[in-house]
Amino acid sequence: MMEKVKLIYEGKAKRVYSTTEEDKFIIEFKDTATAFDGLKKAEITGKGEANCFISSKIFELLTIKGVKNHYIKRLSERDMLVRSVKIFPIEVIIRNRVAGSMAKRLGLEEGKVLEKPVLEFCYKSDELHDPMINEDHILALGLAKEEELSTIKEMSLETNRILIEFFKKCNLDLVDMKFEFGKDSEGDIYLADEISPDTCRLWELGTTMSWDKDRFRRDLGDVEEAYREVKERVMNTPIESNARILIRLKPSILDAQGSVILNALKSLGYSEVLEVRVGKLLELKLDRKIDEPERIEKMCKELLANPVMENYEWEWVE
Amino acid sequence: MNFGIVVFPGTNCDRDCYYVIKDILNQPVKFIWHKENDLRGVDCVVLPGGFSYGDYLRSGAIARFSPIMTSVREFADKGGLVIGICNGFQILTEAGLLPGALGRNIGLRFICKYVNLIIERNDTPFTSEFKKGEIVRMPIAHNEGNYYIDDLSKIEKQIVLRYYGENPNGALDNIAGIVNERGNVFGLMPHPERCSEKILGSEDGLRIFKSIVRAL
Repeated sequence: MMEKVKLIYEGKAKRVYSTTEEDKFIIEFKDTATAFDGLKKAEITGKGEANCFISSKIFELLTIKGVKNHYIKRLSERDMLVRSVKIFPIEVIIRNRVAGSMAKRLGLEEGKVLEKPVLEFCYKSDELHDPMINEDHILALGLAKEEELSTIKEMSLETNRILIEFFKKCNLDLVDMKFEFGKDSEGDIYLADEISPDTCRLWELGTTMSWDKDRFRRDLGDVEEAYREVKERVMNTPIESNARILIRLKPSILDAQGSVILNALKSLGYSEVLEVRVGKLLELKLDRKIDEPERIEKMCKELLANPVMENYEWEWVE
Repeated sequence: MNFGIVVFPGTNCDRDCYYVIKDILNQPVKFIWHKENDLRGVDCVVLPGGFSYGDYLRSGAIARFSPIMTSVREFADKGGLVIGICNGFQILTEAGLLPGALGRNIGLRFICKYVNLIIERNDTPFTSEFKKGEIVRMPIAHNEGNYYIDDLSKIEKQIVLRYYGENPNGALDNIAGIVNERGNVFGLMPHPERCSEKILGSEDGLRIFKSIVRAL
Protein backbone atom coordinates (compact mmCIF):
# COMPACT_ATOMS: atom_id res chain seq x y z
CA MET A 1 0.00 0.00 0.00
CA MET A 2 1.32 3.36 -1.05
CA GLU A 3 1.67 5.83 1.80
CA LYS A 4 1.62 9.59 2.13
CA VAL A 5 5.07 10.94 2.87
CA LYS A 6 4.89 14.72 2.86
CA LEU A 7 2.20 17.31 2.27
CA ILE A 8 3.39 19.24 -0.74
CA TYR A 9 0.37 21.31 -1.55
CA GLU A 10 -2.89 22.19 0.11
CA GLY A 11 -5.66 23.74 -1.96
CA LYS A 12 -9.23 24.66 -1.20
CA ALA A 13 -10.64 21.22 -1.80
CA LYS A 14 -7.63 18.90 -1.89
CA ARG A 15 -4.31 18.04 -0.33
CA VAL A 16 -1.48 16.62 -2.40
CA TYR A 17 1.14 14.37 -0.80
CA SER A 18 4.38 12.96 -2.06
CA THR A 19 4.83 9.19 -1.77
CA THR A 20 7.73 6.79 -1.47
CA GLU A 21 7.80 6.75 -5.28
CA GLU A 22 9.02 9.88 -6.93
CA ASP A 23 6.66 9.69 -9.87
CA LYS A 24 3.50 9.25 -7.82
CA PHE A 25 1.39 11.58 -5.66
CA ILE A 26 -1.58 10.95 -3.43
CA ILE A 27 -4.49 13.38 -3.70
CA GLU A 28 -6.73 13.61 -0.66
CA PHE A 29 -10.20 15.04 -1.24
CA LYS A 30 -11.48 17.39 1.49
CA ASP A 31 -15.00 18.25 2.51
CA THR A 32 -14.21 21.97 2.38
CA ALA A 33 -15.88 24.05 -0.32
CA THR A 34 -15.10 27.62 -1.28
CA ALA A 35 -16.58 29.97 -3.85
CA PHE A 36 -16.19 33.52 -5.11
CA ASP A 37 -12.42 33.54 -4.83
CA GLY A 38 -12.54 32.16 -1.31
CA LEU A 39 -15.07 34.64 0.09
CA LYS A 40 -17.59 31.91 0.75
CA LYS A 41 -16.47 28.85 2.60
CA ALA A 42 -18.15 25.81 4.17
CA GLU A 43 -17.75 22.16 5.11
CA ILE A 44 -19.94 19.83 3.09
CA THR A 45 -20.09 16.41 4.71
CA GLY A 46 -19.34 13.64 2.24
CA LYS A 47 -18.16 15.94 -0.56
CA GLY A 48 -14.56 14.72 -0.46
CA GLU A 49 -15.62 11.12 -0.68
CA ALA A 50 -18.14 11.79 -3.46
CA ASN A 51 -15.60 13.71 -5.54
CA CYS A 52 -12.95 11.04 -5.04
CA PHE A 53 -15.28 8.30 -6.31
CA ILE A 54 -16.69 10.39 -9.16
CA SER A 55 -13.25 11.52 -10.35
CA SER A 56 -11.85 8.00 -10.17
CA LYS A 57 -14.61 6.54 -12.27
CA ILE A 58 -14.42 9.34 -14.83
CA PHE A 59 -10.64 9.12 -15.12
CA GLU A 60 -10.99 5.37 -15.66
CA LEU A 61 -13.51 5.97 -18.40
CA LEU A 62 -11.14 8.46 -20.01
CA THR A 63 -8.26 5.98 -19.79
CA ILE A 64 -10.39 3.37 -21.53
CA LYS A 65 -11.26 5.92 -24.21
CA GLY A 66 -7.60 6.76 -24.70
CA VAL A 67 -7.39 10.17 -23.00
CA LYS A 68 -4.14 10.29 -21.06
CA ASN A 69 -4.73 11.35 -17.47
CA HIS A 70 -2.86 11.31 -14.21
CA TYR A 71 -5.10 8.75 -12.45
CA ILE A 72 -3.53 5.46 -11.34
CA LYS A 73 -5.99 4.12 -8.80
CA ARG A 74 -8.27 4.95 -5.94
CA LEU A 75 -6.64 4.00 -2.64
CA SER A 76 -9.48 4.65 -0.22
CA GLU A 77 -12.67 6.66 0.10
CA ARG A 78 -10.78 9.95 -0.12
CA ASP A 79 -7.36 9.13 -1.46
CA MET A 80 -6.39 8.78 -5.07
CA LEU A 81 -3.01 7.70 -6.39
CA VAL A 82 -1.89 9.74 -9.38
CA ARG A 83 1.12 10.20 -11.58
CA SER A 84 3.12 13.19 -10.43
CA VAL A 85 2.96 15.85 -13.10
CA LYS A 86 3.94 19.48 -13.25
CA ILE A 87 0.73 21.45 -13.59
CA PHE A 88 0.50 24.13 -16.29
CA PRO A 89 -0.64 27.38 -14.65
CA ILE A 90 -3.66 27.43 -16.94
CA GLU A 91 -7.29 26.64 -16.23
CA VAL A 92 -9.11 25.37 -19.27
CA ILE A 93 -12.84 25.92 -19.31
CA ILE A 94 -15.03 24.24 -21.87
CA ARG A 95 -18.65 25.23 -22.29
CA ASN A 96 -21.57 23.53 -24.01
CA ARG A 97 -24.21 25.94 -22.70
CA VAL A 98 -24.04 29.48 -21.43
CA ALA A 99 -23.82 29.68 -17.64
CA GLY A 100 -22.01 31.42 -14.78
CA SER A 101 -19.37 33.98 -15.68
CA MET A 102 -20.02 33.70 -19.42
CA ALA A 103 -23.66 34.73 -18.96
CA LYS A 104 -22.66 37.65 -16.75
CA ARG A 105 -19.76 38.86 -18.87
CA LEU A 106 -21.55 38.73 -22.21
CA GLY A 107 -25.06 39.47 -21.06
CA LEU A 108 -26.38 36.17 -22.33
CA GLU A 109 -29.19 34.13 -20.93
CA GLU A 110 -28.16 31.14 -18.79
CA GLY A 111 -28.86 27.82 -20.47
CA LYS A 112 -28.49 28.95 -24.08
CA VAL A 113 -27.01 26.04 -26.04
CA LEU A 114 -23.72 26.84 -27.78
CA GLU A 115 -23.48 25.62 -31.33
CA LYS A 116 -19.99 24.32 -30.76
CA PRO A 117 -18.05 24.02 -27.50
CA VAL A 118 -16.41 27.26 -26.34
CA LEU A 119 -12.93 27.03 -24.87
CA GLU A 120 -11.69 29.63 -22.39
CA PHE A 121 -8.38 29.92 -20.59
CA CYS A 122 -7.55 31.52 -17.25
CA TYR A 123 -4.13 32.25 -15.87
CA LYS A 124 -3.83 30.48 -12.52
CA SER A 125 -2.63 33.20 -10.19
CA ASP A 126 -4.11 33.91 -6.76
CA GLU A 127 -2.55 37.37 -6.79
CA LEU A 128 -4.24 38.32 -10.04
CA HIS A 129 -7.43 36.39 -9.22
CA ASP A 130 -7.12 33.97 -12.16
CA PRO A 131 -7.64 36.40 -15.04
CA MET A 132 -9.06 35.20 -18.34
CA ILE A 133 -6.42 35.09 -21.08
CA ASN A 134 -6.22 34.01 -24.68
CA GLU A 135 -3.90 31.65 -26.55
CA ASP A 136 -1.48 34.41 -27.48
CA HIS A 137 -1.20 35.41 -23.82
CA ILE A 138 -0.37 31.81 -22.96
CA LEU A 139 2.45 31.75 -25.48
CA ALA A 140 3.63 35.28 -24.59
CA LEU A 141 3.77 34.42 -20.89
CA GLY A 142 5.45 31.12 -21.72
CA LEU A 143 2.79 29.18 -19.79
CA ALA A 144 2.89 26.44 -22.42
CA LYS A 145 4.53 25.82 -25.76
CA GLU A 146 2.53 26.03 -28.94
CA GLU A 147 2.36 22.28 -29.53
CA GLU A 148 1.55 21.71 -25.87
CA LEU A 149 -1.32 24.15 -26.13
CA SER A 150 -2.68 22.41 -29.19
CA THR A 151 -2.50 19.02 -27.41
CA ILE A 152 -4.30 20.54 -24.42
CA LYS A 153 -7.04 21.90 -26.67
CA GLU A 154 -7.48 18.59 -28.48
CA MET A 155 -7.60 16.62 -25.22
CA SER A 156 -10.13 19.11 -23.79
CA LEU A 157 -12.47 18.74 -26.76
CA GLU A 158 -12.14 14.94 -26.76
CA THR A 159 -12.80 14.71 -23.02
CA ASN A 160 -15.82 16.95 -23.46
CA ARG A 161 -17.21 14.70 -26.21
CA ILE A 162 -16.76 11.59 -24.07
CA LEU A 163 -18.23 13.12 -20.94
CA ILE A 164 -21.29 14.66 -22.61
CA GLU A 165 -22.21 11.10 -23.62
CA PHE A 166 -21.38 9.61 -20.25
CA PHE A 167 -23.30 12.18 -18.20
CA LYS A 168 -26.27 11.80 -20.52
CA LYS A 169 -26.42 8.16 -19.37
CA CYS A 170 -26.53 9.54 -15.81
CA ASN A 171 -29.45 11.76 -16.90
CA LEU A 172 -27.23 14.81 -16.49
CA ASP A 173 -26.53 17.62 -18.90
CA LEU A 174 -22.87 18.67 -18.96
CA VAL A 175 -23.12 22.45 -19.12
CA ASP A 176 -19.46 23.33 -18.67
CA MET A 177 -16.33 22.12 -16.91
CA LYS A 178 -12.86 23.11 -15.86
CA PHE A 179 -9.65 21.21 -16.54
CA GLU A 180 -6.08 21.36 -15.43
CA PHE A 181 -3.26 19.71 -17.33
CA GLY A 182 0.24 18.73 -16.37
CA LYS A 183 3.29 17.17 -17.92
CA ASP A 184 5.62 14.45 -16.67
CA SER A 185 9.40 14.40 -16.82
CA GLU A 186 9.22 13.01 -20.37
CA GLY A 187 7.15 15.98 -21.50
CA ASP A 188 3.99 13.88 -21.99
CA ILE A 189 0.80 15.78 -21.27
CA TYR A 190 -1.82 14.44 -18.88
CA LEU A 191 -5.26 15.60 -17.87
CA ALA A 192 -4.91 16.20 -14.13
CA ASP A 193 -6.75 17.59 -11.08
CA GLU A 194 -10.27 16.23 -10.63
CA ILE A 195 -13.50 15.93 -12.56
CA SER A 196 -16.44 16.28 -10.20
CA PRO A 197 -19.43 18.47 -9.38
CA ASP A 198 -16.83 20.98 -8.10
CA THR A 199 -15.36 21.36 -11.57
CA CYS A 200 -18.39 20.64 -13.77
CA ARG A 201 -21.80 22.23 -14.11
CA LEU A 202 -24.29 19.40 -14.27
CA TRP A 203 -28.00 19.96 -14.80
CA GLU A 204 -30.80 17.45 -14.64
CA LEU A 205 -31.25 16.49 -18.27
CA GLY A 206 -33.90 18.63 -19.97
CA THR A 207 -34.12 21.14 -17.10
CA THR A 208 -31.96 23.83 -15.54
CA MET A 209 -31.91 22.13 -12.18
CA SER A 210 -28.42 22.20 -10.82
CA TRP A 211 -26.69 19.14 -9.31
CA ASP A 212 -23.26 20.71 -8.88
CA LYS A 213 -21.38 23.26 -6.80
CA ASP A 214 -23.85 25.96 -7.87
CA ARG A 215 -26.14 24.56 -5.18
CA PHE A 216 -23.53 25.84 -2.72
CA ARG A 217 -22.56 29.01 -4.62
CA ARG A 218 -26.15 30.12 -5.02
CA ASP A 219 -27.55 28.77 -1.74
CA LEU A 220 -29.95 26.41 -3.47
CA GLY A 221 -29.97 24.00 -0.51
CA ASP A 222 -29.56 20.20 -0.35
CA VAL A 223 -25.87 20.57 -1.12
CA GLU A 224 -24.82 17.32 0.56
CA GLU A 225 -27.61 15.40 -1.14
CA ALA A 226 -26.54 16.74 -4.53
CA TYR A 227 -22.99 15.40 -4.23
CA ARG A 228 -24.33 12.09 -3.00
CA GLU A 229 -26.84 11.91 -5.84
CA VAL A 230 -24.23 12.59 -8.53
CA LYS A 231 -21.94 10.00 -6.96
CA GLU A 232 -24.75 7.42 -6.96
CA ARG A 233 -25.62 8.08 -10.59
CA VAL A 234 -22.01 8.04 -11.76
CA MET A 235 -21.14 4.88 -9.85
CA ASN A 236 -24.24 3.07 -11.11
CA THR A 237 -23.68 3.92 -14.74
CA PRO A 238 -21.88 1.07 -16.45
CA ILE A 239 -18.84 1.76 -18.55
CA GLU A 240 -18.73 -0.77 -21.28
CA SER A 241 -15.15 -1.53 -22.02
CA ASN A 242 -12.99 -4.06 -23.76
CA ALA A 243 -9.71 -5.38 -22.51
CA ARG A 244 -7.24 -7.24 -24.62
CA ILE A 245 -4.98 -9.64 -22.77
CA LEU A 246 -1.90 -11.07 -24.37
CA ILE A 247 -0.43 -14.18 -22.78
CA ARG A 248 2.99 -15.39 -23.86
CA LEU A 249 5.34 -18.15 -22.90
CA LYS A 250 8.23 -16.79 -20.87
CA PRO A 251 11.29 -16.09 -23.02
CA SER A 252 13.20 -18.83 -21.16
CA ILE A 253 10.76 -21.48 -22.41
CA LEU A 254 11.29 -23.10 -25.77
CA ASP A 255 8.24 -22.48 -27.92
CA ALA A 256 7.98 -25.68 -29.97
CA GLN A 257 4.97 -24.41 -31.89
CA GLY A 258 6.87 -21.25 -32.74
CA SER A 259 9.83 -23.22 -34.08
CA VAL A 260 7.59 -25.33 -36.32
CA ILE A 261 5.98 -22.20 -37.72
CA LEU A 262 9.40 -20.64 -38.18
CA ASN A 263 10.50 -23.65 -40.23
CA ALA A 264 7.33 -23.52 -42.32
CA LEU A 265 7.90 -19.83 -43.04
CA LYS A 266 11.51 -20.49 -43.95
CA SER A 267 10.56 -23.31 -46.30
CA LEU A 268 8.21 -20.85 -48.03
CA GLY A 269 11.18 -18.59 -48.63
CA TYR A 270 10.68 -16.09 -45.81
CA SER A 271 14.30 -16.27 -44.77
CA GLU A 272 14.10 -12.92 -42.97
CA VAL A 273 12.11 -14.46 -40.10
CA LEU A 274 14.44 -15.17 -37.21
CA GLU A 275 12.07 -16.26 -34.48
CA VAL A 276 8.38 -17.00 -33.98
CA ARG A 277 6.71 -17.02 -30.59
CA VAL A 278 3.08 -18.09 -30.29
CA GLY A 279 0.87 -16.54 -27.61
CA LYS A 280 -2.75 -16.36 -26.65
CA LEU A 281 -4.97 -13.36 -27.18
CA LEU A 282 -8.02 -12.99 -24.97
CA GLU A 283 -10.63 -10.31 -25.54
CA LEU A 284 -12.82 -9.44 -22.60
CA LYS A 285 -15.95 -7.38 -22.81
CA LEU A 286 -16.66 -5.84 -19.46
CA ASP A 287 -19.49 -4.00 -17.85
CA ARG A 288 -17.63 -2.14 -15.22
CA LYS A 289 -19.80 -0.79 -12.47
CA ILE A 290 -17.02 -1.66 -10.12
CA ASP A 291 -14.10 0.76 -10.15
CA GLU A 292 -11.34 -1.57 -9.09
CA PRO A 293 -8.58 -1.15 -11.63
CA GLU A 294 -6.58 -4.13 -10.43
CA ARG A 295 -9.30 -6.61 -11.24
CA ILE A 296 -7.94 -7.52 -14.66
CA GLU A 297 -4.51 -8.03 -13.10
CA LYS A 298 -6.16 -10.33 -10.60
CA MET A 299 -7.94 -12.26 -13.35
CA CYS A 300 -4.62 -12.81 -15.09
CA LYS A 301 -2.86 -13.94 -11.93
CA GLU A 302 -5.67 -16.14 -10.66
CA LEU A 303 -6.69 -17.90 -13.83
CA LEU A 304 -5.80 -16.58 -17.24
CA ALA A 305 -2.02 -16.97 -17.14
CA ASN A 306 0.15 -19.55 -15.43
CA PRO A 307 2.92 -17.55 -13.76
CA VAL A 308 5.34 -20.48 -13.91
CA MET A 309 5.36 -20.57 -17.71
CA GLU A 310 3.66 -17.44 -18.94
CA ASN A 311 3.86 -13.67 -18.91
CA TYR A 312 0.90 -11.44 -19.61
CA GLU A 313 0.18 -7.89 -20.55
CA TRP A 314 -3.12 -6.16 -21.17
CA GLU A 315 -4.60 -2.96 -22.46
CA TRP A 316 -7.93 -1.27 -22.92
CA VAL A 317 -9.22 -1.32 -26.44
CA GLU A 318 -12.02 0.64 -28.06
CA MET B 1 -7.44 -47.86 3.40
CA ASN B 2 -10.21 -45.78 1.85
CA PHE B 3 -9.61 -44.30 -1.58
CA GLY B 4 -11.59 -41.38 -3.00
CA ILE B 5 -11.44 -40.83 -6.75
CA VAL B 6 -12.35 -37.27 -7.75
CA VAL B 7 -14.37 -36.98 -10.94
CA PHE B 8 -14.34 -33.70 -12.89
CA PRO B 9 -16.31 -33.06 -16.05
CA GLY B 10 -14.03 -34.56 -18.69
CA THR B 11 -12.19 -36.98 -16.40
CA ASN B 12 -11.85 -40.34 -18.19
CA CYS B 13 -9.46 -42.52 -16.18
CA ASP B 14 -11.62 -42.63 -13.05
CA ARG B 15 -13.07 -46.07 -13.78
CA ASP B 16 -9.69 -47.61 -14.53
CA CYS B 17 -8.40 -46.43 -11.14
CA TYR B 18 -11.57 -47.69 -9.47
CA TYR B 19 -11.14 -51.12 -11.06
CA VAL B 20 -7.52 -51.44 -9.94
CA ILE B 21 -8.22 -50.38 -6.36
CA LYS B 22 -11.45 -52.33 -5.92
CA ASP B 23 -11.05 -55.45 -8.05
CA ILE B 24 -7.32 -56.02 -7.97
CA LEU B 25 -6.39 -54.68 -4.54
CA ASN B 26 -9.74 -55.25 -2.76
CA GLN B 27 -9.65 -51.86 -1.11
CA PRO B 28 -12.68 -49.70 -0.32
CA VAL B 29 -13.04 -46.93 -2.91
CA LYS B 30 -15.64 -44.36 -3.97
CA PHE B 31 -16.10 -41.72 -6.62
CA ILE B 32 -16.29 -38.10 -5.45
CA TRP B 33 -18.00 -35.64 -7.79
CA HIS B 34 -15.97 -32.44 -8.07
CA LYS B 35 -18.83 -30.31 -6.72
CA GLU B 36 -18.76 -32.11 -3.40
CA ASN B 37 -16.51 -31.01 -0.57
CA ASP B 38 -16.61 -33.85 1.90
CA LEU B 39 -13.48 -35.98 2.23
CA ARG B 40 -14.34 -37.48 5.61
CA GLY B 41 -13.27 -41.10 5.86
CA VAL B 42 -10.95 -40.85 2.87
CA ASP B 43 -7.30 -41.83 3.38
CA CYS B 44 -6.03 -41.24 -0.13
CA VAL B 45 -7.39 -38.87 -2.77
CA VAL B 46 -6.86 -39.85 -6.41
CA LEU B 47 -7.03 -37.13 -9.09
CA PRO B 48 -7.27 -39.30 -12.19
CA GLY B 49 -6.36 -38.55 -15.78
CA GLY B 50 -8.54 -37.18 -18.52
CA PHE B 51 -9.42 -33.81 -19.97
CA SER B 52 -11.07 -31.91 -17.15
CA TYR B 53 -13.02 -29.01 -18.62
CA GLY B 54 -11.80 -29.98 -22.06
CA ASP B 55 -8.30 -28.74 -21.18
CA TYR B 56 -9.66 -25.28 -21.98
CA LEU B 57 -7.33 -22.37 -21.25
CA ARG B 58 -4.63 -24.71 -19.87
CA SER B 59 -4.80 -28.31 -18.69
CA GLY B 60 -6.09 -28.31 -15.13
CA ALA B 61 -6.51 -24.52 -15.01
CA ILE B 62 -10.26 -24.57 -14.46
CA ALA B 63 -10.60 -27.83 -12.54
CA ARG B 64 -8.54 -26.39 -9.74
CA PHE B 65 -11.40 -24.01 -8.88
CA SER B 66 -13.87 -26.87 -8.34
CA PRO B 67 -15.27 -26.98 -4.79
CA ILE B 68 -13.57 -30.30 -4.01
CA MET B 69 -10.14 -28.75 -4.54
CA THR B 70 -10.55 -26.59 -1.43
CA SER B 71 -11.09 -29.79 0.56
CA VAL B 72 -8.20 -31.52 -1.22
CA ARG B 73 -5.93 -28.65 -0.21
CA GLU B 74 -7.00 -28.88 3.44
CA PHE B 75 -6.66 -32.66 3.29
CA ALA B 76 -3.11 -32.36 1.93
CA ASP B 77 -2.23 -29.68 4.50
CA LYS B 78 -3.19 -32.14 7.21
CA GLY B 79 -0.89 -34.76 5.71
CA GLY B 80 -3.45 -36.80 3.74
CA LEU B 81 -2.15 -38.70 0.71
CA VAL B 82 -2.95 -37.22 -2.69
CA ILE B 83 -1.96 -38.75 -6.01
CA GLY B 84 -2.51 -36.91 -9.28
CA ILE B 85 -2.14 -38.92 -12.45
CA CYS B 86 -1.57 -37.16 -15.77
CA ASN B 87 -4.36 -34.53 -15.85
CA GLY B 88 -4.44 -34.95 -12.07
CA PHE B 89 -0.76 -33.93 -11.99
CA GLN B 90 -1.58 -30.91 -14.14
CA ILE B 91 -4.39 -29.93 -11.76
CA LEU B 92 -2.04 -30.23 -8.76
CA THR B 93 0.52 -27.89 -10.33
CA GLU B 94 -2.17 -25.40 -11.37
CA ALA B 95 -3.51 -25.51 -7.81
CA GLY B 96 -0.04 -24.87 -6.44
CA LEU B 97 -0.07 -28.12 -4.46
CA LEU B 98 2.98 -29.17 -6.48
CA PRO B 99 5.62 -26.82 -7.88
CA GLY B 100 6.21 -26.13 -11.57
CA ALA B 101 3.96 -26.44 -14.58
CA LEU B 102 3.28 -28.82 -17.46
CA GLY B 103 3.62 -27.29 -20.90
CA ARG B 104 3.01 -28.62 -24.34
CA ASN B 105 5.04 -31.65 -25.48
CA ILE B 106 8.11 -30.55 -27.35
CA GLY B 107 7.05 -32.47 -30.49
CA LEU B 108 3.57 -30.88 -30.36
CA ARG B 109 1.98 -34.32 -30.57
CA PHE B 110 -0.21 -36.26 -28.23
CA ILE B 111 1.98 -39.17 -27.15
CA CYS B 112 0.49 -42.52 -26.16
CA LYS B 113 3.08 -45.23 -25.56
CA TYR B 114 5.06 -47.19 -23.02
CA VAL B 115 8.14 -45.44 -21.62
CA ASN B 116 10.96 -46.47 -19.33
CA LEU B 117 11.16 -44.73 -15.98
CA ILE B 118 13.76 -44.70 -13.26
CA ILE B 119 12.68 -44.69 -9.63
CA GLU B 120 14.66 -41.88 -8.01
CA ARG B 121 13.07 -42.16 -4.57
CA ASN B 122 11.52 -45.11 -2.84
CA ASP B 123 11.16 -43.36 0.51
CA THR B 124 7.75 -41.92 -0.35
CA PRO B 125 4.34 -43.42 0.52
CA PHE B 126 3.82 -43.91 -3.23
CA THR B 127 6.98 -45.78 -4.19
CA SER B 128 7.96 -47.98 -1.25
CA GLU B 129 7.31 -51.13 -3.32
CA PHE B 130 10.16 -50.22 -5.67
CA LYS B 131 13.91 -50.25 -5.34
CA LYS B 132 15.82 -47.00 -5.72
CA GLY B 133 17.34 -46.82 -9.21
CA GLU B 134 15.02 -49.51 -10.55
CA ILE B 135 13.88 -49.17 -14.16
CA VAL B 136 10.15 -49.70 -14.69
CA ARG B 137 7.76 -49.49 -17.65
CA MET B 138 4.51 -47.54 -17.70
CA PRO B 139 2.41 -45.97 -20.43
CA ILE B 140 2.05 -42.25 -20.93
CA ALA B 141 -0.81 -40.59 -22.81
CA HIS B 142 -0.67 -36.83 -22.90
CA ASN B 143 -0.27 -33.66 -24.90
CA GLU B 144 1.02 -31.49 -22.04
CA GLY B 145 3.68 -33.37 -20.10
CA ASN B 146 6.60 -31.06 -20.61
CA TYR B 147 7.53 -30.32 -17.02
CA TYR B 148 8.97 -26.88 -16.37
CA ILE B 149 10.14 -24.92 -13.35
CA ASP B 150 12.21 -21.72 -13.13
CA ASP B 151 14.65 -23.00 -10.60
CA LEU B 152 15.29 -26.73 -10.75
CA SER B 153 17.53 -26.66 -7.69
CA LYS B 154 14.49 -25.88 -5.53
CA ILE B 155 12.84 -29.23 -6.25
CA GLU B 156 15.76 -31.54 -6.96
CA LYS B 157 15.06 -33.55 -3.81
CA GLN B 158 11.40 -33.91 -4.75
CA ILE B 159 11.93 -35.78 -8.00
CA VAL B 160 10.52 -39.30 -7.69
CA LEU B 161 10.32 -40.48 -11.30
CA ARG B 162 12.43 -39.64 -14.33
CA TYR B 163 12.07 -40.74 -17.93
CA TYR B 164 14.86 -43.18 -18.59
CA GLY B 165 16.59 -43.46 -21.93
CA GLU B 166 14.33 -41.36 -24.09
CA ASN B 167 12.69 -38.13 -22.93
CA PRO B 168 9.33 -38.24 -24.74
CA ASN B 169 8.01 -34.74 -24.14
CA GLY B 170 10.91 -32.38 -23.43
CA ALA B 171 10.38 -32.39 -19.65
CA LEU B 172 13.06 -30.51 -17.78
CA ASP B 173 15.66 -32.85 -16.27
CA ASN B 174 13.55 -35.81 -17.55
CA ILE B 175 11.06 -35.24 -14.76
CA ALA B 176 8.07 -37.61 -14.91
CA GLY B 177 6.85 -37.42 -11.32
CA ILE B 178 7.44 -35.30 -8.21
CA VAL B 179 6.23 -35.06 -4.64
CA ASN B 180 5.71 -31.96 -2.53
CA GLU B 181 8.25 -31.11 0.15
CA ARG B 182 6.34 -32.97 2.81
CA GLY B 183 6.10 -36.02 0.54
CA ASN B 184 2.35 -36.64 0.84
CA VAL B 185 1.29 -35.19 -2.54
CA PHE B 186 2.48 -37.01 -5.66
CA GLY B 187 2.00 -36.07 -9.29
CA LEU B 188 3.08 -38.18 -12.24
CA MET B 189 2.50 -38.15 -15.99
CA PRO B 190 2.54 -41.97 -16.52
CA HIS B 191 -0.65 -43.96 -15.94
CA PRO B 192 -0.05 -46.65 -13.27
CA GLU B 193 -3.71 -47.74 -13.50
CA ARG B 194 -3.12 -48.80 -17.11
CA CYS B 195 -0.35 -51.23 -16.18
CA SER B 196 -1.63 -53.05 -13.14
CA GLU B 197 -2.31 -56.44 -14.65
CA LYS B 198 -0.04 -58.82 -16.47
CA ILE B 199 -2.43 -59.07 -19.41
CA LEU B 200 -1.85 -55.38 -20.09
CA GLY B 201 1.87 -55.86 -20.50
CA SER B 202 3.14 -54.59 -17.17
CA GLU B 203 2.27 -54.74 -13.51
CA ASP B 204 4.62 -51.95 -12.49
CA GLY B 205 1.73 -49.56 -11.96
CA LEU B 206 0.10 -51.77 -9.40
CA ARG B 207 3.12 -51.36 -7.16
CA ILE B 208 2.31 -47.67 -6.80
CA PHE B 209 -1.17 -48.48 -5.48
CA LYS B 210 0.31 -51.24 -3.31
CA SER B 211 2.78 -48.75 -1.85
CA ILE B 212 -0.10 -46.45 -0.91
CA VAL B 213 -1.97 -49.32 0.76
CA ARG B 214 1.17 -50.23 2.63
CA ALA B 215 1.67 -46.66 3.79
CA LEU B 216 -1.56 -46.67 5.74
